[in-house]
Amino acid sequence: MGYKKYYTNKIIWYLLTLVIAVVLNFILPRLMPGDPVSAIAARAVNGMTDSTAIQAVYEDYAEKFGINLPMSTQFAIFIKNAVRGDFGVSFSQYPRTVSNIIASSVWWTVCLQLPAILLGWILGNVLGAVSAYKKGIFDKGVLPVFLFMSNVPAFGMATVLLYVFSLKLGMAPSSGGYGFDLIPTASITFFRSVLAHYQLPFWSVVLITIGGQAIGMRSMSIYELNADYVKYSRFMGIKDRKIVGYVFRNAMLPQITGLAMSIGTMIGGALVAEIIFSYPGLGTTLLAAVKGRDYPLISACTLIITIMVLLANLIVELIYGVIDPRIKAAQQD
Amino acid sequence: MGKTMLEVDHLKTKYVTRFGENVFAVDGVSIKIEEGKSLGIAGESGCGKSTLALSLMGYYFAPLHYQSGTIKVDGVNITGMKPDEIRKKVLGNEIAYIPQAAMNALNPTQKIFSFIEDVIKAHDPGVTKKDIYDLARERFEILGLPESVLKKHAVELSGGMRQRTVIAISTILSPKVLIADEPSSALDVTSQKMVIKMLKNLMEKGFIKSMIFITHELPLLYNVTDEIMVMYAGQIVEQGTAREMVFDPLHPYSKGLMGSILVPEKGAREAKLTAIPGTPPNLKNPPKGCRFADRCSYAKPACMLHQIAESHLENGRMFRCYLEEKELREVYRDE
Repeated sequence: MGYKKYYTNKIIWYLLTLVIAVVLNFILPRLMPGDPVSAIAARAVNGMTDSTAIQAVYEDYAEKFGINLPMSTQFAIFIKNAVRGDFGVSFSQYPRTVSNIIASSVWWTVCLQLPAILLGWILGNVLGAVSAYKKGIFDKGVLPVFLFMSNVPAFGMATVLLYVFSLKLGMAPSSGGYGFDLIPTASITFFRSVLAHYQLPFWSVVLITIGGQAIGMRSMSIYELNADYVKYSRFMGIKDRKIVGYVFRNAMLPQITGLAMSIGTMIGGALVAEIIFSYPGLGTTLLAAVKGRDYPLISACTLIITIMVLLANLIVELIYGVIDPRIKAAQQD
Repeated sequence: MGKTMLEVDHLKTKYVTRFGENVFAVDGVSIKIEEGKSLGIAGESGCGKSTLALSLMGYYFAPLHYQSGTIKVDGVNITGMKPDEIRKKVLGNEIAYIPQAAMNALNPTQKIFSFIEDVIKAHDPGVTKKDIYDLARERFEILGLPESVLKKHAVELSGGMRQRTVIAISTILSPKVLIADEPSSALDVTSQKMVIKMLKNLMEKGFIKSMIFITHELPLLYNVTDEIMVMYAGQIVEQGTAREMVFDPLHPYSKGLMGSILVPEKGAREAKLTAIPGTPPNLKNPPKGCRFADRCSYAKPACMLHQIAESHLENGRMFRCYLEEKELREVYRDE
């Protein structure tokens, strides 16, 4: 069966891509100028005057973080530990482990971004389909507004929302994931606070997502509405409502790729919204890691992004084979 | 004489362009087909053949619009019906259509059977899935299509198979009139033959009661249809039996059209292939006089002045020329 071979082939390619990405993830942060260990050591030796002692402290840290070893050995250790989910100790938030930092921030990002992207995607597709089919105000009024919004830079949108709804109208808190006076517990007060803090970052992502998805869906729908099968179905007496169903199902197919791409890149995309709203997610963590030259944390964050992008793409390819018979036919060749 | 299946009287339809101009692509066409008969419509690209096919179904959507004339299917006038009534009562079960690009006529993400189900349910929502399946399987079998096609997607079928599947779907409700718009033009000779055989088979089995076959290939019409109409610039310029039209065309355009093709008959092959000079007129501003006049080598100044009326001969032939039959025959003989 050519089907199985096709997928095996695909998975091998994805694994190869992953290996290359991991190597780059490891090397690139380490090529940044500056030495993080000396920064940490400098903090530790603050006030010390004995240069031998300072040197000893530095070497102690260098050994602890393993940066005195050759790059290849460091890489081997990194891989060995990474497979077990251990990304080492953070440089900038020493002595917290990278895994611990990521575990506490990744869910904030996923819970913020995933629903926001999904909602933006769904609303965008509906808007695109409606403006292609109904035209009029949707096509000439609503769509351009959302298109305009989608071209507003993320920081612009976040800042505007922050200014209008938080500062001027006071409808939502301006920063953080929950009230600063609360301790994360499973209480209703805490949940309410989280929900209130959720609104602005959430909508800032949704509003930006809609336009781009809508414009893609609109052109796909227009293309499909003029396809020969639409005309033929009409002349076979099939109701327009049913035909519109065919059209939108077919027009949706390329949009799934768009969804997978945005889910894959959601952590990178989260950066701006999270920073502006001081949201305790992975984006904020990544920024802090870059600022603190925290190699292990940067590598871990970028690795998560890489794996998510690859995984999202792989899933899309696997789903495509099932939902689009044209691709299935091509894959079987 | 059989029952009249389709009677079209001076049908006029137009395309309305974005700038509000009217283009009369079908300009006063009259057609009459009896039960068991087939009619061929020939003409060069852009003469209005396909538009005529679409217009005959009485179901118009932009940019095509109805202007005037009547269409009667089995005695029932459909021109006054509401679109939804036409959709439900006429399309598919009274008049069926085989599109020009049947290759792309099927929804790529839908299985053949699922589409057949939609077609039948659009006309009779009460039918069960099993009944539809039995009907489809039986019909496919009679038409020589494997049952497995029903469970496939269009992309899994070859071009010829796809075309025959479309024909089977189009005729599944046993329509009274089948309009086939270039059903075999995109196919190789073998597939073409199968398509033609299938259409003839449908007629013999009574799954269709009459047929309109549109093509630019005249030899094909001679083999398939009883009568042939030649269309030029939205009008019918000549009509007669297939034999008359191929071997004894009267209208200068028909004659030119016959002269520009290879008729696979003995003797005809040696005849020189000639092209008709010039291009058809722009239908946004049709000529005042004969529409063919500026390409016609027999045109007289009078041809440019008035619209040319149809001349009907005793044997039922019709042609649209300023010259009379006798005059035309004399000119042709002198050549």
